[in-house]
Amino acid sequence: MKIRNFIQVKTVEAFHEAVKAANGSIAILAGGTDVLVNGREDDVYKDCTVIDIFPIEELHGVRETENMLLIGACTTHEAISHDPLVKQYAPILAEASGAVGSLQTRNRATIGGNLANASPAADTMSALAVLHAELVIERDGEARVEPMTAIFTKPYKTNLAPNDLITTIRVPKLSPNVRYDYIKVGRRKVLSISRMTVATLLEMDDEGVVTRFDMTVGATFPRPMLFPDISAMLVGKRPTEQDILDVAKALSDKIPEIAGIRKSTVYKQPVCRNISERSLRKLCADILK
Amino acid sequence: MANIKLSFILNRKPYTVETDPGKRMLDVLREDLGLMGTKEGCGVGECGACTVILNGKAVTSCLVLAGQMQDAEILTIEGMSDDEIGRVIQDCFIESGAVQCGFCTPGFIMSAYALLMENPTPTRDEIRLAVAGNICRCTGYIPITDAIEKASKILAK
Repeated sequence: MKIRNFIQVKTVEAFHEAVKAANGSIAILAGGTDVLVNGREDDVYKDCTVIDIFPIEELHGVRETENMLLIGACTTHEAISHDPLVKQYAPILAEASGAVGSLQTRNRATIGGNLANASPAADTMSALAVLHAELVIERDGEARVEPMTAIFTKPYKTNLAPNDLITTIRVPKLSPNVRYDYIKVGRRKVLSISRMTVATLLEMDDEGVVTRFDMTVGATFPRPMLFPDISAMLVGKRPTEQDILDVAKALSDKIPEIAGIRKSTVYKQPVCRNISERSLRKLCADILK
Repeated sequence: MANIKLSFILNRKPYTVETDPGKRMLDVLREDLGLMGTKEGCGVGECGACTVILNGKAVTSCLVLAGQMQDAEILTIEGMSDDEIGRVIQDCFIESGAVQCGFCTPGFIMSAYALLMENPTPTRDEIRLAVAGNICRCTGYIPITDAIEKASKILAK
């Protein structure tokens, strides 16, 4: 692909310096699995200084604090899907990361790149949304934290400035009691762009009363979304079959409400309702008996 | 843009090439180095024909920028005959009828190599998953799975 300049950086500071030194547009390159596909068309990067951040060691890997997982933005989906900390404290993200593309894609594609690319069909988005993930974003050495859902404006568009760098994805650790389910609907098992994902976290006390409930649908809305009204339908209750039917209907009714009536609505709405029911029945199996 | 000097280890030998860092790794391999074993199928990371091993991981070389080859360790199909695992996989592909038109074969062998380096005794399901990012339009995949399974058994002896 045509580019104006190519710079590899090994530290976040070097990234900020490279941004300042580049006069004109910049394009941030991480794993490259979106940039190189976009670059096939229309010389989109011909005036850009491409800054390769993949070699920044500090942006790779998963660390933990008492309450948070800190996932480096250049950590690959394959690394996340096998990471012991992620599997322990955010297993739904390990599962969603393992659903991305093929092994070859997951070996290169990064979680930060997945967010910055802002594809509404990105597999990890629904999981990150229900986990209430936050992003650490650096601009010229100043860091800020934003909820993961706040950066998206429309499909493939974020409110990130060209000199903003997502450095870390902060994921609050789940307690071992939280039940989760992640379903991806694609045209085949591997290498498919999600038609829909449904991500659910559910926590109940010893009496089977729901203390936490987050459920969302991905690849369906223009950007990742959380629904406090859906959460409120189960929190404080011991779920019954009727509650499950009601939640699945309410969630699937969001599709025409938010995305409008599209050609795909006649497919997506009933599929959403069916797989939401399936997911909730699985998570509540011991309570429904 | 102007050419830059790229240094990397390819098939266990050091290389330095002067090339456009905006090219794809696939083009550096095929055009600059004349290594035609790595094939271009789809060019968007969906078919796996251009699979190579980059720093120990199977990746599609159509989605890696040439500039990202700097200081990397790369293995391509051309390096497979210098290596016991590579030789055994190739022999098993031939013996099992896992090669028909042959276009996808280098990519499958690289994926199989990456698998057997990490997991010398994979189950059939693990084999199927490891090559799920490679598409073959001739064989129907069963002879390919057989070949990799056979290679793992020979190598385990």
